[in-house]
Amino acid sequence: MNAPAGHFARVAFGSLLIAGLPCALAASAARAPAATPAAKTAAATPVASPAAAPPCEACHGAHGEGMAAAQVPRIAGQSADYLKKQLDDYAAGTRDNPIMANFAKALSEQQRAEFAARYAAMSAPYLAQATPPMSVHLARGHQLAFQGDEAKRVQACNGCHGPDGVGVPHAAPYLAGQSAEFLSSALKAFKDGTRKNDAGELMRSVAERLDDADIAAVTGYFASVDLSTH
Amino acid sequence: MVQRLKEVDVVVIGVGMVGSIVAKELAAAGYKVVGLERGQTRFTVPEFQSPAIHDELRFDIRKALMQDNTREPVTFRNQGSQVALPVRRWESFLPGTGLGGSMVHWNGQTYRFQANDFQLATRTRERYGKGFLDPDVTIQDWGVTYDDLEPHYDRFEYLLGTSGKAGNIKGQIQAGGDPHESPRSREYPTPPQKEHFQGAMFRKAASSLGYHPFPQPSSNLSQPYTNPEGMKLNACVFCGFCERYACEHYAKSVPQTMILPVLLANPNFELRTGCQVQRINLDSTKKHATGVTYIDAVGREFEQPASLVITSTFAINNIRMLLLSGIGKPYDPATGQGVVGRNYAYQTMSTVASFFDEDVIINPFMASGASGTLINDFAGDNFDHSGLGFIGGAFIGAVNTNGRPIQYHPVPPGTPNWGKGWKQAVVKHYNHTIMFSLHGSSVSQRRNYCDLDPTYKDAWGQPVLRITFDFPPNDIKMAAHVTAKAVEIGKAMGAKQVAGNPRKGPYTVTQYQTTHNTGGTVMGDSPKTSVVNRYLQSWDVPNVFVIGASNYPQNASWNPTGTLGALTYWAIDALKNKYLKNPGRLVSA
Repeated sequence: MNAPAGHFARVAFGSLLIAGLPCALAASAARAPAATPAAKTAAATPVASPAAAPPCEACHGAHGEGMAAAQVPRIAGQSADYLKKQLDDYAAGTRDNPIMANFAKALSEQQRAEFAARYAAMSAPYLAQATPPMSVHLARGHQLAFQGDEAKRVQACNGCHGPDGVGVPHAAPYLAGQSAEFLSSALKAFKDGTRKNDAGELMRSVAERLDDADIAAVTGYFASVDLSTH
Repeated sequence: MVQRLKEVDVVVIGVGMVGSIVAKELAAAGYKVVGLERGQTRFTVPEFQSPAIHDELRFDIRKALMQDNTREPVTFRNQGSQVALPVRRWESFLPGTGLGGSMVHWNGQTYRFQANDFQLATRTRERYGKGFLDPDVTIQDWGVTYDDLEPHYDRFEYLLGTSGKAGNIKGQIQAGGDPHESPRSREYPTPPQKEHFQGAMFRKAASSLGYHPFPQPSSNLSQPYTNPEGMKLNACVFCGFCERYACEHYAKSVPQTMILPVLLANPNFELRTGCQVQRINLDSTKKHATGVTYIDAVGREFEQPASLVITSTFAINNIRMLLLSGIGKPYDPATGQGVVGRNYAYQTMSTVASFFDEDVIINPFMASGASGTLINDFAGDNFDHSGLGFIGGAFIGAVNTNGRPIQYHPVPPGTPNWGKGWKQAVVKHYNHTIMFSLHGSSVSQRRNYCDLDPTYKDAWGQPVLRITFDFPPNDIKMAAHVTAKAVEIGKAMGAKQVAGNPRKGPYTVTQYQTTHNTGGTVMGDSPKTSVVNRYLQSWDVPNVFVIGASNYPQNASWNPTGTLGALTYWAIDALKNKYLKNPGRLVSA
């Protein structure tokens, strides 16, 4: 059963890529509850098995580098446990994104584990930000990352996400080198409650106490950290 | 040259758990309150953040959060015939210092004592007869009942957001909770912590033997919680660095996370840190306090006049404050006369280690300070002591709080103490061992007490506190009895080897046991046998209140913090609604 389904998926995904990708990404970025036509196309799309060229590439890039402008995260080298949990949550409906949900639902648990492992094993070159943050924002971002803010009752990001946001396998994804655009969208999703697949509401507890300036600062800071050089 | 400052309504000595709560309530009621804290100001950010806070060498071994015993030690001896020596490195117990006090480094285990505990002398006599106890045992009733304290336990738990499962709500036994507990008015504020694997194994084994396992009440929270003060706490992440550490995540209920921001925002309150109180000053009648004298961090001496003085330091320091101030008659073990320093007690801690094969994976490092599973079937007076020759008991639980690499390395009896054999055993057993904690009660006894040391002085030239303590035979018998029961649970878990380690004498101050020092300024109904009355007011100097675990006439089978929180709100109620409306004795002697 797997092979024909996979074959079909490749074809179908190819047409999606040509016809509607920018729209689909926009829908993802805005987390619009009403599916756009492109998202509906995706909804009707079965998905490849890991043996086939993964449909992930279309958005997450050939090397898992993501697509910052469309708020698609970098997933190369992200821990397999984290990626697997996200795929499971998309499949179970506990993380909401119409495109990812449809891909994830079409995968068996085993396939989700294989996709997660594939991207966990990848590396991708660091992508510098199109507009580097201003030093004052970097300083505030660094403060939140390393120290936190007592007045806002926000602890240091690195306390869970590891030294300089490198991530802690099993527990927390890396932030370093992730795009500011994706990180902002994720923090805002936690803040407005549209994303709630964080154990113990750990991210929601933090995000609700950050204002837009803090989010811009801390995400700009982590996007500026090039782990390939240190 | 002593600088005399402007008089205030209230001076609070020690801004820890008790001091923060009392100061908050009195400042909110409109009184001018000064809080004097000997240690430093510190907050979750930046002081408690990782990676610095996860430094096992600094905090576990070198005790960075504890009272500075190079400047302010205690001395210790087992018997009155010995010469006490200074404790230069904390081991047996760990009094904290700094804003937030010892609570900053607690594990969050938040129990209530049972109704029986508050009337221990009466109930023991009623159930077992007059001559049941060793005549040296000096247990007594508290002067308050569980029913008096219940609303205050409730308020304290809702301040903390304690995660747990009620076992008895208004007399109705609740499935999944502790059926032995005294009735509570409502459920815990948040649901229990997640159960770790060893807790699950313990639950199964204890149930199979007919016991009643329940989740450990935890003030490392299971979910986000906003307390009645408006403080929002986060969920615990099971990092395994609770006790001896501060929490970086706003997930452990400590003054900084649950009340200090409210207190510090009140203009009626002034915090002064780095201030070492030397004494409470009395007028010529010795029956009225005029304020306190303290020395600040650069050595300047101040007199702070106040209408009301509340000493809310760590238990043993409350005793010393009264002795240094000449408040109350010091206890003399030779005659049994005097009260200050009398009925010093502790906690009788035993352990049971269950060793498993290597296919049983425990992962002890994934823990919070209070995510265990336990039974109260052998705690307090929950079993018949007839013919046993002792009173009291212990909770038994798989309550592992951490697997930190320097301190946690369980090995079976017979393992070499060092070298290759020891290292191999640590590797073999680290991840395949379940440790039970047996948290035992401690009776007060005629020969255990505290006084001022005749030889040693602190950095300010004042005599240090001398502790004279050994385990009473009652508690040694109790430890042996309960340990045997716990070994049976270990065997029922299917362990390959079970090693019981009942507490034995003599007490040693160089081995960590627990920071549950109690007594010395005990509460009660009579000035002959207590330092403070049932409202924690000094019998001798009515405008001095003493609040701490030093008020306990003896110690029960559980961690003392929950009861101290209840006593704190109980005393606040008396202060606000009785004393401050009409200052004077609340109970006639």
